[in-house]
Amino acid sequence: MTLPNGSPAAGSDGIVEVNNLSKKYGDKVAVNGISFRLSKGEVFAFLGPNGAGKTTTVEILECLRAPSGGQAKVLDYDVSKRSDQAEIRKRIGVLPQDFNAIDRLTVRENIDYFGSMYDHHLDPDQLIELVDLKDKRDSQFKTLSGGLKQRVGLAVALVNDPSVVFLDEPTTGLDPRARRDVWSIIEQLKHQGKTVFLTTHYMEEAEYLADTVSIIDHGQIVASGTPGELIDSYGGKKTLVIREGGEDGLKYLPSEISKPVVKNAGDIHIPLNNGELTNILIAIGQTPLGNKEIEVNRPTLDDVFLNLTGRRVSEEGEVA
Amino acid sequence: MSRIFTIVRGHVRTWFRSRSTIFWTLLFPILLIVLFGAIFGNGNTKFDLYVQNQDLVTSAPTPTQASLGYVNALNQTGAFNLHMVAAETANPLAYVRDDAQLNNRGQRLVIIPVGFQNNLTATGKADIRLYLDQSDQASGPLSGVVSAVSSQYAARFSNSTASVSVQQVPIIAHSTRYIDFFIPGVIGMTLLTSGIFGAVETNGRYRDLKIIKKLATTPLSKIEWILGMVGYQMFLAAISITVILLFGRVVFGVTATIDIYTVALVVAAALLFPGIGMVLANFVKEADGAEAAANAITFPMMFLAGTFWPTDTMPTVLKVIAQYLPLTYINNGLRDAMIYLEPAQALTNTVIALGLAAFFIIVGSVLMSWKEE
Repeated sequence: MTLPNGSPAAGSDGIVEVNNLSKKYGDKVAVNGISFRLSKGEVFAFLGPNGAGKTTTVEILECLRAPSGGQAKVLDYDVSKRSDQAEIRKRIGVLPQDFNAIDRLTVRENIDYFGSMYDHHLDPDQLIELVDLKDKRDSQFKTLSGGLKQRVGLAVALVNDPSVVFLDEPTTGLDPRARRDVWSIIEQLKHQGKTVFLTTHYMEEAEYLADTVSIIDHGQIVASGTPGELIDSYGGKKTLVIREGGEDGLKYLPSEISKPVVKNAGDIHIPLNNGELTNILIAIGQTPLGNKEIEVNRPTLDDVFLNLTGRRVSEEGEVA
Repeated sequence: MSRIFTIVRGHVRTWFRSRSTIFWTLLFPILLIVLFGAIFGNGNTKFDLYVQNQDLVTSAPTPTQASLGYVNALNQTGAFNLHMVAAETANPLAYVRDDAQLNNRGQRLVIIPVGFQNNLTATGKADIRLYLDQSDQASGPLSGVVSAVSSQYAARFSNSTASVSVQQVPIIAHSTRYIDFFIPGVIGMTLLTSGIFGAVETNGRYRDLKIIKKLATTPLSKIEWILGMVGYQMFLAAISITVILLFGRVVFGVTATIDIYTVALVVAAALLFPGIGMVLANFVKEADGAEAAANAITFPMMFLAGTFWPTDTMPTVLKVIAQYLPLTYINNGLRDAMIYLEPAQALTNTVIALGLAAFFIIVGSVLMSWKEE
């Protein structure tokens, strides 16, 4: 795990290496001295709200933008060197944010179109199978649903059999099922040993998919680590929830536990300290609360972001 | 009621923020009114007419009184913009051809020959020679006015016993019809619209859809992308020219020649108009805004550059504007090459068109943003 300021973790083999990277647009600082490193086969999630600097960072790594300072290497090639940029482009796969393929081309034609930009590319039908679009192989792109369009985008990103794949907000705007479908494809990439750089504002997505998460806010990395490490360090306590326990149920709880709160339709929420769970369960076992539905909620990356920044990120990626 | 107000306000805002709808609903009708009003409105149109007065006083290089009077009579009709050709010009036709081409005027020349005054005084009869391009839409009325002026002048000169006859000399052997004139114009217009709108549509919309961003992350270079676009334009041009010429041939019996100049002009157009489109797409980033800008450029150019009628029939100020429009040179060049069979003039127009094409495709390529800014 790396702590604020994102000093690189030791011992990784550096598919992507970023050191003190910054980007300014006039007086506005979009990325402010960030550092991180991706290892081979890792799924890395760059997590943060809209405007945090995620896309700027990923577009620097894709050689679409020039950095204002610091250094970034992809597959050991320097993104700032013109000769290296050509090598990087051959070896990376990119799904830009809000990408759409060409409306009037079919799925297969689109994959083939983008594949033809490379000297060597995979068979479009192989990719169509990977993203489960066999039934839509000959359908025009414009006729597809949002989720299917994004699967075409993923196939296009993989068409050159890249060493590292950059996916910029790949599930934004998708319905939950379509989002799960995209996650499933990303998991397959992971199993194939691809290195995946994922930007997202969905905490659940980062937690589900990523080996490593870096949280970025206002152009700076505020924390990095595995999802578990981040939650353990910054997520706060687990919570015991007794469904519909009600205000009356509070009297059955042991007096020495953390202060319980009654929320929603009478659910009792009790922040748990180490070792308290068993005591509470024993204490309420013979009371009316023992018949209620009980669950333990562990903190999420939402809680991590809240605790680190004092704000939550909405479904749309805005901070609140 | 508040819901209705909200809907109306939403539509008004949407309209106000879309440049293309503003263009179509406001500017385009105004533009058409202005253009057609200027061209057909007040009847102020004058014909350009070159005059060479060879009838000089033997003792001094000044025109004879009779020839000067005849020139004044032409001038007083108000129908002509007279352009005098020096008497000592050895080949006035060649001079007129070049000067008319340079200044985008019709090739019409009146020569008052040596002995005009003497013949008129001695025999009561004199000739002038009128050289006219038979494909010139203005040749009919112009010839009529010159004949009328000649008759009136002769009558005034010696109490209706004298005559000045007009010997009309065609300066292009084959005759052409309006449809012959129009077909190359339609080809020019097609190249213009498909080139400019193609570039604007592709670059604007593909930028909005992040397709260009995606392509920029592949090994594809900007110049390859541009060349692909130009190649596509050439394909479109070949298809559309074939269809237009076949239709013209079958329906109207138009015979057009495809020669090296035609090919060069089509290549020039396939570079020139996408180049202009790319310049536009660079300055107006949003796809619909760029489309509005393309409309604002293509429609006036289409009307002013001699697509539908000869530029020579337009008022002076519009003729001047036409000289600065790239489509003028494509249209003129295509007509010279395909219909009039005037290789010298086709060459001039082709060279100018290729020069403009090189300029715009280079500027457009340099300005086009491939990476993010």
